[in-house]
Amino acid sequence: MGAMRPHEKLRIQNVGEDDMGMQGDFFQLLKSQGYQFGNPVAASAGMEIPNATTILALKYRDGVLVAGDRRATAGNMVMYDRTDKVLEIDRHSVLAIAGVPATAYEMVRVLEHSFKYYRRTQLQELSFEGKLRAVSKLLKENVPAALAGTGAVVPVFAGYDHEQEAAKIYFYDILGAEFEAVEYAVSGSGSPTIRGILHYVNTWGPQPLAALPEEQATVQALRLLSSAAEFDSATGGVNRELNLYPVVKLITAAGVQTIPDTNLKQLYERDVVRAL
Amino acid sequence: MYEEPYRWIEAVGNRRQYLDEQFTMGSPVVALAYAGGIVMLTVSRGTPKLYEIYDRIALGGMGHPADLEKLRFSLLEMAHVEGFNRSPSDVTGARLMKYGLAPTIKQAFEEIYKAPFIAKILLAELGVKPERDLFLTINYDGNFEERRGWAALGATSAVQIEMGRYIDAQPGFAQAPLAQAVETGLCAWAVGSLAQTSSGNPEGELSSVRESGEKAAAEALPDTTALLAHVRQTVAEKSLECVLLERNGPGSSKYRALRADELGRLLPPAVRASDSHRCAIDV
Repeated sequence: MGAMRPHEKLRIQNVGEDDMGMQGDFFQLLKSQGYQFGNPVAASAGMEIPNATTILALKYRDGVLVAGDRRATAGNMVMYDRTDKVLEIDRHSVLAIAGVPATAYEMVRVLEHSFKYYRRTQLQELSFEGKLRAVSKLLKENVPAALAGTGAVVPVFAGYDHEQEAAKIYFYDILGAEFEAVEYAVSGSGSPTIRGILHYVNTWGPQPLAALPEEQATVQALRLLSSAAEFDSATGGVNRELNLYPVVKLITAAGVQTIPDTNLKQLYERDVVRAL
Repeated sequence: MYEEPYRWIEAVGNRRQYLDEQFTMGSPVVALAYAGGIVMLTVSRGTPKLYEIYDRIALGGMGHPADLEKLRFSLLEMAHVEGFNRSPSDVTGARLMKYGLAPTIKQAFEEIYKAPFIAKILLAELGVKPERDLFLTINYDGNFEERRGWAALGATSAVQIEMGRYIDAQPGFAQAPLAQAVETGLCAWAVGSLAQTSSGNPEGELSSVRESGEKAAAEALPDTTALLAHVRQTVAEKSLECVLLERNGPGSSKYRALRADELGRLLPPAVRASDSHRCAIDV
């Protein structure tokens, strides 16, 4: 389907025909070539589908911090401990995923290509609202699969809005409704645990989350994910023996930046582990 | 009337003549390797001529804007569908050229009842390693060429050869820093531009900037000062476009259009005097 084959003719678009309206829309282009996203397939009883787990996004002093643990589970089974659930879609936006990784990765691939395709055809960045709509649209397409039990994804989208000069956080339900988070957003099976902590820290902590400098925000994220791992078996937390740390990314006007494991290790050992 | 083979050949010949004329006023395009990747530049009259096609592929064009736009869209569609269905590393300049552009352009050229594409295209592809950098050019008749190190678009192949001769004469240009690569590119552009304006009379304007010496005239390279003066003159009325494919650029998209202020700092002093250079759409 759609793959490039020798002697296949380039399709020359006739401007003025009905594809005029879909210029720059990569998802429409895929669909016009027979691509289907979010096909409902009923999960058979007893089938365990891998799931991905605790993600959080919070506004700190310079922008937004997005973090996620690295465990993927299927039922009681730990499938993988090096999953990356905080995925960069472009230089200024990130999708953190909780739910079925197969669907989530596919969503990210579609989004990544959609944003690039739009920029390259239209010679301008897709607007921040446009990006948000694209995420919603994919989730809506995915509703049948989500309801069938094979494809539910509950992502958190964070990105830098150049027009308003602010980093923003949005969270979604499985049906595609979009909500803007004022201070923080969480998703995944470990999220109920840390939601309460976030509220407490933000309201009665020494300073609100939005005032935290980068390093302190990172420490908070590590503490929160460790707490989630404490109470939720499906969240990985930190594994020092294997040198496994969560994925932590920062979004500022300069773009997305990943905090290297060596920094996380240092912060973890200094401010997360309780000295005996 | 074209069913006779002779008539058909005659019609194709006329078409060649017609197309050759269309490009004489066009602005040449130069792409060359430098220490950090690939730089592509041209001087345009408002409509941009340099574009991003995929993560590591840039396009430069000469010809009618509407035709270039059609071909550009097809390339974008092909590249993105392929990159999504297979993987970004399977989107290569060679495949886009051989299975995409070439058959389409050739067919349009030979279907003498229909209009041909008034377009020449250059694709520059940034390799993971410098030795994998690839430059492809295609003519209006579907003839394409693959090169290493540099490629140029000009009104005729003679012009392109002339431009290439200039670049090849710069020792170690592929390891040069960006500012030097921009200067080499601009000079090569000027060689092409001057050669075009004197077309029909190969010893015309270009020969006037050649170093003196009657016998050496055909061999010697034009003088840099004169070439840069020509660039400066042209840029005063038009705009300079310059894009990069940066091997160590952040993220997966390596294409970046130079902003006007960056370009201003990179230009050789002889050109910098004029302030009117503009940059391609900033991404």
